[in-house]
Amino acid sequence: MSDHHDLGGKDFGPIDVTHDDPAFHHEYEGIAWAISRSARAPAITIDWWRHCREMIGKEDYLSRPYFDSWIQTDIATYIDGGALTLEELLSGAAQPVTDPPPKTDKDAVLKLNQQANRDFSVAMNTPPKFKIGDMITTKAPRGIGHTRLPNYARGKPGVIHAYHGGHLYPDVGALGKHQGEHLYTVCFDASALWGTEARAGDKVYLDLWEPYFD
Amino acid sequence: MASYDRDKVKDIHEHLHSHLPSEPALRTKALMSVLEQKGYLRADNLDAWVAAYTEDIGPKRGAKVVARAWVDADFKARLLADACEAIKEFGFEGTATGHLKAVENTSTIHNLVVCTLCSCYPFSILGIAPPWYKANAYRARAVRDPRGVLEEFGVTLPDAVETRVWDSTAELRYIVIPKRPKDSEGLNEDQLAACVTRNSMIGTDRDLKVPAP
Repeated sequence: MSDHHDLGGKDFGPIDVTHDDPAFHHEYEGIAWAISRSARAPAITIDWWRHCREMIGKEDYLSRPYFDSWIQTDIATYIDGGALTLEELLSGAAQPVTDPPPKTDKDAVLKLNQQANRDFSVAMNTPPKFKIGDMITTKAPRGIGHTRLPNYARGKPGVIHAYHGGHLYPDVGALGKHQGEHLYTVCFDASALWGTEARAGDKVYLDLWEPYFD
Repeated sequence: MASYDRDKVKDIHEHLHSHLPSEPALRTKALMSVLEQKGYLRADNLDAWVAAYTEDIGPKRGAKVVARAWVDADFKARLLADACEAIKEFGFEGTATGHLKAVENTSTIHNLVVCTLCSCYPFSILGIAPPWYKANAYRARAVRDPRGVLEEFGVTLPDAVETRVWDSTAELRYIVIPKRPKDSEGLNEDQLAACVTRNSMIGTDRDLKVPAP
């Protein structure tokens, strides 16, 4: 079971609350961000990319810098998809396979960013099983593979707070399938999640798909 | 074509761990170089993306939206009903705001946003997430101990105030509408936007102040 990315409820000590920071602290961070936005990546689902990031070894995942993990994930998905080999990467030499993309200046980038306003909703053929105000209980066991139901919210009671229609279901998206499931926002009493250490009345909200409920 | 094979990718990560240089900048340059040689990217396009997210796309966008909500009740109603549509009035929609949701602080409610499973963030309206948002410590504790987390940010929450933590587990993204600062009557929209901190739109700041002139 690879769940070292699932951090909710764990303790890694105090937070470095540095406030007045620039967008990018090192040149490579900006490059990593820009590669993720502009390179011609192999066609993959967003949840396969997330799952590939989750599969970085535990020590590296928890200790290496954030944008470094993006680069490692990009490399892994490129190699997996056959767009790149480890030998090419290590030798630093590769043959052209396509013409370079057109030049985009900042104004063009701002338009591309605007066009990236992606809709993840999916038309559903079945009605939702739950409505706002219904009580649900989340499934307890965690399987192998990608999921967006965190461990801390497993086997817990909650109340349907909102319904969002069908959305792409990440558990199968990570297997390359474009399939929708009904998506809800669920409100959990903090005390249902954390017991008496929580302040009564505090709430935690999660966006969860119908198959996550018993 | 992606394999969607977990074991294959685990093996790839092990090879990368063993063979790649440890320094993140060297790994990044290595990837950039071979992608450029193959024709998959142009280096000068990367500069344009960095410039856009350094100069144009950042928390000032969110601050403008919040200030508008403070002065225009109709806009605030549209923002709370469908933030994704409402921010189109500014042209701020884009990367990771396709399902944006605005949540409002009040005298009795404080909202805090986190992503415990990765670091989901509404890039097109708030820019690049601050380091602490992506750090293990914040991702781990925000859901369990929001009051303790707020204390570390210098925010002492009265016990009468309820916390609502939003864990971004799906493609919904959240922006907090903080409370309008005291003594801000008479300020125009631009002056109000200057009161809005990035952290207040994530929820790690609460009582905003009017900046000294």
